[in-house]
Amino acid sequence: MNSLNLKQIKRELKIDARGLNIPSGSAEIFIDRTLETVSQKFKDRAFVTEKDLKNTIAKELSKYHKDFAYVYKNRDKII
Amino acid sequence: MSVFISVGIVILAMLIMASLQLVPGIFALFSHYAIGKFQRTKASTLALWFILGAEIITVIFFIIAVYLSYILFLNDLDPRNNVLTWIFAGILIALSLASFFFYFRHPHSKDTELFIPRSFAKAFDKRARSAKSPSDAFALGAFSNIPELIFTMPLYIITATEIVYSHAEYFADDFMTILYILISTVPLFVLYHSFRSKRTLADVMHSRIRDKTFHRLCLSFSYLTIAILIICFRIV
Repeated sequence: MNSLNLKQIKRELKIDARGLNIPSGSAEIFIDRTLETVSQKFKDRAFVTEKDLKNTIAKELSKYHKDFAYVYKNRDKII
Repeated sequence: MSVFISVGIVILAMLIMASLQLVPGIFALFSHYAIGKFQRTKASTLALWFILGAEIITVIFFIIAVYLSYILFLNDLDPRNNVLTWIFAGILIALSLASFFFYFRHPHSKDTELFIPRSFAKAFDKRARSAKSPSDAFALGAFSNIPELIFTMPLYIITATEIVYSHAEYFADDFMTILYILISTVPLFVLYHSFRSKRTLADVMHSRIRDKTFHRLCLSFSYLTIAILIICFRIV
């Protein structure tokens, strides 16, 4: 997983966190910890599908904030 | 009697317009992203531009529907003896079935995916995410009504016909027209207020999922009732 991809995901997650009224300090911690775990998990894989990545991020986020994980996972199922 | 039937049809059409889910869904996404990216004041202003866009396009659709209803029903032909009235009743029955079975992609799942093609949904998501100026918000509000035309256009035409046709009987047509146009954006104002009172996209999603069956039933019964009213009272 390249760093560019992670940066983009982090930016999107920050927007989601702010939209969900999560305090910015807590959101930063949740996002950093989640992305750290996710990149550790996928570091040996040559390819990661978008679905795998999304599910793993959502699963990690749900440990910290259920609504955050829910919105991230279901964003493309809203309309 | 005819006035009451017309009022009934228009009120049921209003109920349908207020129960449709595409524009509120896009608005909820748009508000979520706007709150995430901008100050609350700017997010509120953009949300109002979105609502204005949706309102203006509703007015345009209604004007188009009035012209179409003149061409189809009111120009030369008596709507009471028109084969087109049968066709519209058929379309409404089809829409009643479609809104119950196909309006939500997965009627029993925990999401609110709608009937529109996934490429459309992705395009709207992308536009909602990237909108940053009042013109973007206005355009998104206007365009978000277009994919739902299949469900709304027959209603616009029937409502316009009822309102214009009943004019001769001193029907309060101006009031009903304004109300019909405004009612479609009432859910947007409710959502606007929700987001202003710190409710989030997750809360909105949960309530939409909870009310999914109610929306399906409401849409389906309203379409069916309008069809029955037209068959019973408008076709002689």
